[in-house]
Amino acid sequence: MSLWPTGCSSDDDALTFFFAANPEEADARLRVVDAFARRHPDIKVRTLLSGPDALQHMSIYCAGGKCPDVLMAWDLTYAGLADRGVLLDLNTLLGQDKAFAAELKADSIRSLYETFTFDGGQYAFPEQWSGNYLYYNKKLFAEAGVRPPPGRWEKPWSFGEFLDTAKALTKRDRSGRVSQWGYVDTWAASYSAGLFGVNNGVPWSTPRMNPTHLNFDNDVFIEGIQFYADLANTHKVAPTASETQSMSTMDLFSAGHAAMAQGGHWRYQTFDRAKGLDFDITVLPTGPKGHAARSNIGTTGLAIAASSRRKQQAWEFVKFATGPIGQEVIAESGLFVPVLRSAIESAGFAEAHRRIGNLAVLTGGPAHSEGMPVTPEWPKIGSLMDRNFGPVLRGARPATSLASGLSHAVDEVLHSP
Amino acid sequence: MTTIDGLAAAVTRRRKFSKRRARAGRMFVAPNLAAVAVFMVFPLGFSLYMSFQNWDLFRPAKFVGLANYRSLFTGDPLFSIALRNSVVYTVGTVVPTVLISLAVAGVLNRKIKGINFFRTIVFLPLAVSSVVMAVVWQFVFNTNNGLLNIMLGWIGIGPIPWLVDPKWAMASLCMVSIWRSVPFATVILLAAMQGVPDTLYEAARLDGAGELRQFVSITVPLIRAAVSFVVVISIIHAFQAFDLVYVLTGRNGGPETATYVLGIMLFQHAFAFLEFGYASALAWVMFAILLVLTVVQLRLARRRTAQEERSWA
Repeated sequence: MSLWPTGCSSDDDALTFFFAANPEEADARLRVVDAFARRHPDIKVRTLLSGPDALQHMSIYCAGGKCPDVLMAWDLTYAGLADRGVLLDLNTLLGQDKAFAAELKADSIRSLYETFTFDGGQYAFPEQWSGNYLYYNKKLFAEAGVRPPPGRWEKPWSFGEFLDTAKALTKRDRSGRVSQWGYVDTWAASYSAGLFGVNNGVPWSTPRMNPTHLNFDNDVFIEGIQFYADLANTHKVAPTASETQSMSTMDLFSAGHAAMAQGGHWRYQTFDRAKGLDFDITVLPTGPKGHAARSNIGTTGLAIAASSRRKQQAWEFVKFATGPIGQEVIAESGLFVPVLRSAIESAGFAEAHRRIGNLAVLTGGPAHSEGMPVTPEWPKIGSLMDRNFGPVLRGARPATSLASGLSHAVDEVLHSP
Repeated sequence: MTTIDGLAAAVTRRRKFSKRRARAGRMFVAPNLAAVAVFMVFPLGFSLYMSFQNWDLFRPAKFVGLANYRSLFTGDPLFSIALRNSVVYTVGTVVPTVLISLAVAGVLNRKIKGINFFRTIVFLPLAVSSVVMAVVWQFVFNTNNGLLNIMLGWIGIGPIPWLVDPKWAMASLCMVSIWRSVPFATVILLAAMQGVPDTLYEAARLDGAGELRQFVSITVPLIRAAVSFVVVISIIHAFQAFDLVYVLTGRNGGPETATYVLGIMLFQHAFAFLEFGYASALAWVMFAILLVLTVVQLRLARRRTAQEERSWA
């Protein structure tokens, strides 16, 4: 099976499959494609690997009349394509395939499935969960005499306990320079800050789909954001942006210079291959106003282009990859967290993650996730967040400043796109 | 009769020949003309047309008249920020570029041993791509372990968050831009300096003028046309800045809005928000600003040259 970095020629009748992946992930994708090819030798699949900006890459393909038949869809950005009529509403095909519909309904995690339900249409089926949790270095915890953190979402730990742990694990050398950080974040800082807001008991928005307002002006949500910002600026247990310029947060954890790292399963392969790193995983902390430990839904799915000339073949591929067999292949690969209950709880998934003690953090993750807002305007909101979170995360302004600046700007975008 | 017939035949032959030459000329120019039409005239016309439309690549374009221009000037607070940043970046790049290039070209114009080696060194950055250059400078600007902060540390200056702090980000960007622009400007100015007759310097020396006086009173006035060209080209380049900003401070022109210049704004609206009509309107506004600046600059240069010619006379 060949992997094409770019280009989308129409010189053969192969089904085109567009996706974004790092080299290890691409390998897992190809395993699913290979498994599909064995079961459907009559359908040829040509893979198209995305460049750094998948949405831009995809838009240009589709606008040029060469939209790939099967497209990877991201929870935050698919709505823009669905709104523009690029993606096919899968409900029609699902209606004609009652057996698969029933199977999917019984085995799916509702919140993940509904992530791709937009304006009454079903524009993709989820295929992997990539929500956030914490990796922790077992050796550093043991050396500092700190009790290991909880191993299940049902057993939360508080912001205070998390902070105490991070403080106990932050070490400085004689010059006062930090030699080991308590906590590092390997995800996008502004999104992580929002996730701390969610863990303080307030969702990003109500409703989640097509909201007209985001909770950047909610005091409790803001409190969670402030706690996240204080980790670096006040408590000095996390590095600032300047401090991660020379060594990425991912490398800090891999090299044993950080005790806890926030990220998703996409970091697993890197940490798994890091020499001498003995790690396990734990849940995110819960704020004083929070009710339970929460991750973010952070899922990707598979969609079919509305303009596809091979809709039936595309349907077979999507069904395979998001159905029990494809999900089992994903589970066994150890490169993603599948989204069907049967695959998450399978022996293959457990075997692929045998070095993880707290496997319940992964298997329970999808069911303990809260979604981020789904709106066609997300690219604009993302860029507004990037701009407005900057001073808060640097400690130049309090998180309460978001209530007047960012909140109004976001509302304006959501009301008049 | 025979002479007249001969003359008429010669005229006809010449006409035929010149027609053939004209046709051949047109044939030679045609491929280039076609390329200009396809790759320049059509995109220009299309973007002008699109600036009056609302178009997101997928849905049919919708005519909105001057709405894109109106919201750019009245409803988009980021336009004024981008314009201000572009002006700061342009001034912060062009003025130092011209001054440094003048000095460097003046030094390289000297007839000393091994000058070709130094000329090669100075021109080397011209051969490096902007993206590669920006990546290298990212390392240089690293707050804790960057070359620049290490060197500043030797003289007792604490680490400066070059690309992380909004107060420093634009200054950092200007530094890289100057580093990139100086070689090109130096090439132009050096070529112009080499065209200044030696006799003028000899006369000045006989009159007791020092090196600096010769440079200010002879070299600079006589290469004014080249300086003018460098200024115009540098302004155009700086105003259209994109690649350097994108690599150094990210696709949003951060931190916050510190390096949010017009080029980044255009790219963001076109390729992140898929607002191609709005981005086209912005492109034409940028074009109009540059056109006005260039015309004013050329007029000023022409007037100055005329004044000088009068004073020489």
